[in-house]
Amino acid sequence: MDVRSQVSMVFHLDKCIGCHTCSIACKNIWTDRKGAEYMWWNNVETKPGTGYPTKWEDQRIYKGGWERTGDGVALKGAGKRRGLTNIFHNPNLPVIDDYYEPFTYKYLDLIESPAGDDQPTARPISMITGEPMDIKMGPNWDDDLSGTPDYARNDPNLEALSPAEREAMFQLERMAFFYLPRICNHCLNPACVASCPSGAIYKRGEDGIVLINQEVCRGWRMCVTACPYKKSYYNWATGKSEKCILCYPRLEAGYAPACMHSCVGRIRYLGVMLYDAERIERVASSPTEDLVENQLGMILDPFDPEVILAAKANGIADSTIHAAQNSPTYKFVKKWKLALPLHPEFRTLPMLFYVPPLLPVMASVKPVDNEQQAEKMHEIAKYWPDNWLYDTSTKDLWGTLDQVRMPLKYMASLFSAGDTEQVKDRLKKLMAVRVHRRHTTVGDIDAEQAQRALFEADLTAELADEIYYLTSLAKFNDRFVIPAAHREQAIEMLEFAGDVKGSTGFGFKSGSATRGS
Amino acid sequence: MREIFGKLLAAAKPVAGLAAIVGMLTPTMGRAESGADLFKSRCVACHTVGGGKLVGPDLKGVADRRSSAWIVKFVQSSQTMIKAGDPEAVAIYNEYNKMPMPDWPLSPAEIESIIEYTKSAAGDGATAAAAAPAPPPKATAEEIALGQKLFVGSVRLANGGPACSSCHDVANDAVISGGVLARELTNAIGRSGHQGVRSILGSIPFPVMQKAFEGKPLTEEEITALVAFLDSENASHKGAMPRDTGIKLAAGGGGGAVFLFLMYSVLWSRRKKGSVNQAIYDRQVASR
Repeated sequence: MDVRSQVSMVFHLDKCIGCHTCSIACKNIWTDRKGAEYMWWNNVETKPGTGYPTKWEDQRIYKGGWERTGDGVALKGAGKRRGLTNIFHNPNLPVIDDYYEPFTYKYLDLIESPAGDDQPTARPISMITGEPMDIKMGPNWDDDLSGTPDYARNDPNLEALSPAEREAMFQLERMAFFYLPRICNHCLNPACVASCPSGAIYKRGEDGIVLINQEVCRGWRMCVTACPYKKSYYNWATGKSEKCILCYPRLEAGYAPACMHSCVGRIRYLGVMLYDAERIERVASSPTEDLVENQLGMILDPFDPEVILAAKANGIADSTIHAAQNSPTYKFVKKWKLALPLHPEFRTLPMLFYVPPLLPVMASVKPVDNEQQAEKMHEIAKYWPDNWLYDTSTKDLWGTLDQVRMPLKYMASLFSAGDTEQVKDRLKKLMAVRVHRRHTTVGDIDAEQAQRALFEADLTAELADEIYYLTSLAKFNDRFVIPAAHREQAIEMLEFAGDVKGSTGFGFKSGSATRGS
Repeated sequence: MREIFGKLLAAAKPVAGLAAIVGMLTPTMGRAESGADLFKSRCVACHTVGGGKLVGPDLKGVADRRSSAWIVKFVQSSQTMIKAGDPEAVAIYNEYNKMPMPDWPLSPAEIESIIEYTKSAAGDGATAAAAAPAPPPKATAEEIALGQKLFVGSVRLANGGPACSSCHDVANDAVISGGVLARELTNAIGRSGHQGVRSILGSIPFPVMQKAFEGKPLTEEEITALVAFLDSENASHKGAMPRDTGIKLAAGGGGGAVFLFLMYSVLWSRRKKGSVNQAIYDRQVASR
């Protein structure tokens, strides 16, 4: 057992409102630079949709990720042989038109234009050429299903559905969508690291953050091809590739990454998980149907004395083990089994997990008498004399799951390599928690039905309340359990602190000041 | 006098080039020689009738290609015609590596008789065979050594002519400071052949060189030695003179490139071509 710690993330998709605040926070801090304008280390996609860059999930186009070979895995579009044959021209790279041409507006024209008959206009200006341009595409051009035939219907995940199922998804009153915020997954088996000919990309030992060393990067762009999530971007101004750094300077100082800190819906959770690094290759090369189970299997129980012993032997600090025990991601992913990795079939073992969205559930409108309710309300309260209820309860408990507007097969294509049972399992739990809470707070579902829901979802009332707490009431320190970075130990790897012992005071590095000098 | 030269001519038969020299040394004397004799004594070093190209063109059917007046003018002074810009003369000059034909002090009548001979000998296999260059005798080491000494001037030319290295150079360590006034001679034999070099040395066609050797002709032994020396130089620098492949090399390169690109387009036929958004972009209307 080779225990290592990994900072992992959980995004609760039921809570995402698609406001792009995370993207803006990230952009303002990290990618608001020349050459990085088109980079969205964090982006929010509408599903169904083609995403960013367009159709990134279709590896027949971009050749990212790993492929299962006879006895292991091999990079699909990079690696030694392919790297050599494509050394002067790598055709699998996304081009700028697969992203979009970054633009700004000539805002000064609005205030500096001479007086005239018309209002001045701020023309769009290309941030690459500096010339006026026609905006053809943006990073979220498919937002909220806009341009549906071009974007939503071209979602690569729809291939898992039959034509009839696809049509049903886009019928006017059944049409639904949800948001999929994406950052670098900081994978356990990162294809970008494996593909880099310069050895510039590495996975940090202490927390598993995947970073590109800008001093070593030679701009081969093999990582851009290799990353199946297209989260490595080439900076055309510096000639080097860049990617999400999980705000490691913030993490080291105990802050949550900017995208998570700013999240309006509080959908993001971050915490440490301990995993067994010995199993990486075996898990990555396991059959597609076992991928999710095996990946969850290599995440270790931080309360297991054996695991703790092995972790300590590997130099993992007590504070990190403690953080792993309190990790919200461990609870979501392993304890409650509520979260799933995005596209596990890429075999990179991503460490960003998603709680699949339950909404929108099928509901019916049934007539009820709201008179009694209305009388309880304060006289100045706004009151609609509606006598109907938007009823999401159901007599046959899981019947609605099979009729969800977003077909299970579609969800399974995103989160479980096609295994609908995995997704159904998660949705059942989400629904059971909802039924349980409805019984507790609203009371229109009887105890027997709530109990049955919990039982069938393999939950107890206590667990359901825990899930409810972390989903709905969690405070900052519940959502982000960030282990201490132990900078004081890190510096001892580079220099011997004893050298400067006794010379503290003013001027730590140069020795203390002496009289007369 | 005539007999003496006749004997000399007979003695020099194996060395065909000598005929040209001897011919030059015996300008129009006494009665007119027959066209055949004139051809054999003066032209055969560089030309054949129906035997293919040597240093100069095959003269078979020359009377059909050119007018008599043109031929007379060319034989008497080809360089004058070339300088005057006669297009045919210039074309011939360029075709044969800019090797000038010596000016022959022959009367128009004598030249006419040679033309008559080329007509009668046309297709005469015997003539062709006779005109074919005799294989050069194997040069001895002494000859080569003498040639080298003559070239650099450590042995003087018998008639007082200047040493070759005054103006010429060869790629040989023994020739320390060859001249750069005239052409580099390492591959002279390769360019002009034994016969060509022999006839050049025997009857110098280049105006500057003519002046330098005016009244100081090279002797037969000196010519043999120099040719032997230049031949050994040529042999040891064969690779320095790339084979002339004509259009084949360029065509082969171009064809190979086309083949490679075709192969690439087949091998990489499933590559990503252009943007995945192209269909969307194509429908968009540009404002400009």
